[in-house]
Amino acid sequence: MKALWLSVLTFRESVLKGTLVFFFIVSNLILLFFLVALGVSEEGGTTSLTLFGSIISPRGIEGFNAVEFILRQLFGGSTFWVLLFGLFATAGLVPSMLEKGTVELYLSKPLSRASLLLARSAGACSGIILNLLYFAILIWVIFGIKAAVWHGGFLLAALCTIPIFFFYYSIVAVTALMTNSTGFSIMFALIYYFFSSALAAREQVLYIWWDNPFFQRFLDVLYYATPQISSMIESASELIGPDFMRMRVMESAGGFDPLPFLWSLLSSSLLYAFAAWYFARRDY
Amino acid sequence: MAIVSTTNLSKTYGSGIFRKTHIDALSGVSLSVEHGQIFGLLGPNGAGKTTFIKLLLSIAYPTSGEASVLGYPLGSVAIRQNVGYLPENHRYPPFLTALQTLVHFGRLHGIPRLRLLDRARSLLALTGLSDWANVKIKKFSKGMLQRLGLAQALLADPPILFLDEPTDGVDPIGRKEIRDILTSLRREGRTIFLNSHMLSEVEEISDRVAILNKGRLLHVGSVQDITAHRLEYEIHLATSPPADVLSALRALCKHVEVSGNRLTVHLSDQGQAQAVLDALRAAGLVLESFSPKKSKLEDYFIQLLKPREEA
Repeated sequence: MKALWLSVLTFRESVLKGTLVFFFIVSNLILLFFLVALGVSEEGGTTSLTLFGSIISPRGIEGFNAVEFILRQLFGGSTFWVLLFGLFATAGLVPSMLEKGTVELYLSKPLSRASLLLARSAGACSGIILNLLYFAILIWVIFGIKAAVWHGGFLLAALCTIPIFFFYYSIVAVTALMTNSTGFSIMFALIYYFFSSALAAREQVLYIWWDNPFFQRFLDVLYYATPQISSMIESASELIGPDFMRMRVMESAGGFDPLPFLWSLLSSSLLYAFAAWYFARRDY
Repeated sequence: MAIVSTTNLSKTYGSGIFRKTHIDALSGVSLSVEHGQIFGLLGPNGAGKTTFIKLLLSIAYPTSGEASVLGYPLGSVAIRQNVGYLPENHRYPPFLTALQTLVHFGRLHGIPRLRLLDRARSLLALTGLSDWANVKIKKFSKGMLQRLGLAQALLADPPILFLDEPTDGVDPIGRKEIRDILTSLRREGRTIFLNSHMLSEVEEISDRVAILNKGRLLHVGSVQDITAHRLEYEIHLATSPPADVLSALRALCKHVEVSGNRLTVHLSDQGQAQAVLDALRAAGLVLESFSPKKSKLEDYFIQLLKPREEA
C-alpha cells in the first residue's frame, strides 16, 4: 500500500508538471480530427472508408483493408509519440526523487529502496499509459461508431504498449540512478531507442557493415540482453492487421510474435533488479 | 536505557573515478543517548553531524563500527518505523498543500488513513500552520517549511526524533515556539536528537551534548557540566578599582581581569571568595553585584575547537 501511494503521488506529480496535460490535449485534437473527418461511403454496392469525404482507395493492393491500414499507422505513430513524449515527460521523475533534501525524506520511511524505485517507475509509467489507453479506447469507439468496425486487435495492440513503455523505462531508471541526471537519462534512452531499431534489423543492416562472426554474436547478445523496443512495437502492430508495405516487398505477412515481449520482460527485469541493487547500496 | 548507541562508528566517503580520494566523514564515534533526553550534536560545518544521523537511519552506510537505535541494529526497518526525521534543507513536492504533504508522508509511513487526517490537522495546529493547511507549499517561507518539516517528523508519533537544523531560517518567535514544542515533547517522554549550529539554543534546551569536529568526537557530556561555573566570579563595582586594590586581589586570586568597573576573578578555592569581598570592602569600594560566572556552551565549543583549528 505504501508503494502504491508513492506511485499515485508520482502520477500526480507528472500531471501537475503539465507535460501530461499537453499530451492529453494533443490526444484530444487527434480524436477530434477522426471524429470530424472519418466517414463511410456506399457507392456502387461497396462500402469504403472516407476521410473528409474522400475515399481511402486500395491503391491496387489485394486484400487492402483501409481500417486496418489507418489503425496500424495510428498505432505506429502514437507508440512512437508515446515513447518519445513519455520519455521527456517522465525521465525527470527518478532524478527528482534523488535530489538532496528529497531522497532523505523517502529513505527515512519504512519502505525498501527497491519498492521506492519500482513504485516511482510505475507511477511515472502510469500517466503515459493511461493517456495512451484513453486515446486508444476512444479511437476504437470512433471507428466503431463511424465506420461500424469494432477492431479488437487495435485494443490488444494498445494494451501491448503498457509493457513496452515499462520495459523501456528500465533504461531510464538505470541511467537516472547512475547519473542523477535527467538530461543524460533522456539522451541515453533516445540513443537506445534508435539503437534498438538498428539491433532489430541487425541481420539486414549491421551484419553487412562488418562481416565478422564475433561482432555478429556480440550484436545478437546485445539484442537479447536489452529490451527489444522496436521488435515489440512491430509485433504488436501485427495484432491490428498485416503490414501492406511489407506484403508488397516481401510477399509474406508477419504475425504476432510473443518472443520479443518475453525477452524484454527478462532483460528489463534484470535492469530493474540491477537498478534496485545499485540504489540499495548507494549512500545519500 | 540507551535509545541510541554507537560503537566506533566510522564512515569514509570515496570520490573520483580514476584516482579515488577518501574523506573520513566520521571516525570511530562511540556515544549513547538515553531515553527522554534532548541530545544536541554540535560541530562546525563538515564535522560529520548529518552523516551521523544518516548512518543511524540507513540513508548512508557505515564503513565500520556498530550502532543501534531503540535496540534495533542498523538497517532494520523497525528503526525507520519508529523514528521521525527532519532532514536539513528538506524539499517537499511543491504542488502539494501542507495538509496533503502530511497525508502523503503519513501514508508512506503506513499510518492508517482514518487516523492520518486527524493527526495531520492536529500537528498543523501544533506547529502554527492551521491557517495554511490548504495552501500549496511552494508559497511557504523557509520558516514555515521548517515547521511543516517538524510536523512531518512527528506524524507517526515516534518515540525518537532526529532533527537536523530544525530552526534554520526560522524567525526568533518561531524559534522560541519550536523550542517550546521540543521541550513539551521531552516532557511526554520522547527522545530528541538535535543537530544544530545554534549553540545558545542547544544550550537552552539540551540535556546532553556531543561535540564533533572533522568526524571525531571531542566531547560528550551534560550541558550542566559544561556550563557550570569553575570558581570564576564577576564583580560589578560602582567605580573602577584603584591599582593597590587590584594588586591585593592579584595576590589573592589565580587570575584577575579588569574592564572598567567590572572585574572577573578566578579563584583557587571557594573560601577565597570571602577574602576577595573583604578586600573590596576594606578599600571602601561600593559593590553592585558579586556573582559566579556561568560559562557559555559557545565559549566551551570555541575553546575546544580553537587549538585544533590552529594545529
